[in-house]
Amino acid sequence: MGEMNVVGDTNEAASTGEVAGLDPGEAAKILEQTKRQARRQFDPRSVLAAVVGAGVFLFGYGAVWWSMRDQHVYSGPAGWSLAVLYGLIAVSAIVGGVALSRANAGVSGRARRQRQAQAAAVAAAGVGAWVIEGALRYRGVSLEIVYGVYGPTVPLVALAAAAAGINAMRESWLQLGLCIAIIAVASVSTFFGPLGAWGLTGLGCCLAMLAYAAALVVQQRRA
Amino acid sequence: MTTNTLVPLDPLIHVPARLRILVTLAALNAGDTLSFTRLQSMLNLTPGNLITHLRKLEDAGYLTSEKNGDGAGSTTTVALTTRGRAALDAYTEALRSLLGGLAS
Repeated sequence: MGEMNVVGDTNEAASTGEVAGLDPGEAAKILEQTKRQARRQFDPRSVLAAVVGAGVFLFGYGAVWWSMRDQHVYSGPAGWSLAVLYGLIAVSAIVGGVALSRANAGVSGRARRQRQAQAAAVAAAGVGAWVIEGALRYRGVSLEIVYGVYGPTVPLVALAAAAAGINAMRESWLQLGLCIAIIAVASVSTFFGPLGAWGLTGLGCCLAMLAYAAALVVQQRRA
Repeated sequence: MTTNTLVPLDPLIHVPARLRILVTLAALNAGDTLSFTRLQSMLNLTPGNLITHLRKLEDAGYLTSEKNGDGAGSTTTVALTTRGRAALDAYTEALRSLLGGLAS
């Protein structure tokens, strides 16, 4: 530790708290408490972020559904509803980002680089799905399909599928379950047209996120 | 009933602060390192206190440290070595056998 620019204490045994004859029971208690605290502090999963994510689906997707509910012929969502949706997505990204940066503060190395590469893979899946959405419109596919059905579901399925693969590899079963639930809800909702795609995806994914948040609370309390 | 077999507890680890240091570093994913400042804030130790313990653990080959940069902007990171992880596992096993069932 010669590199550290901190002067060591002169009376080490006294100042560093070296306890002669530390009781094994006390040592076991310290070990378990420290393990729990460390796991909690390094855990990037956030119940708050999950609840905010549920809010995005309920109120964001819900706002778009609400603005289109009386349309007999598809004319697209109202501008205000898209503002609500993207505003909530931004809030969700900030909450998730804060939780992630808190957990990863001061952490570096190979495993962190792997996580960054995995995040890039998930982002690429999302970007690819959005590019295809643009291509479909360019090729003359109707607005109803491109923005009404594909828009709220397929990018979500692509993101969730990429995340599912990563979570399966990590054996993160709770997150894997969430990803599969999102894929199932979003893909089935496409059968019900634009209203179904926005409404059912919003409601179903909100419930999935809330169930995930509840399971996360239980898991973190047990840990 | 008491056991007649003395289970050796690694004296280097059997100190509250050093035990907490090793357990905290062991909670990281393999291959990750932790900054000195984050470790200090997690363990609530003074810099002098922490560095003294880190030095002893590094001398034993239980962890490695690396300083990046110079001056005020420099950061020091620490990581558990394979030997350190094995020593902590052995210590935990020894505690388990002493106490007859420490939760894993």
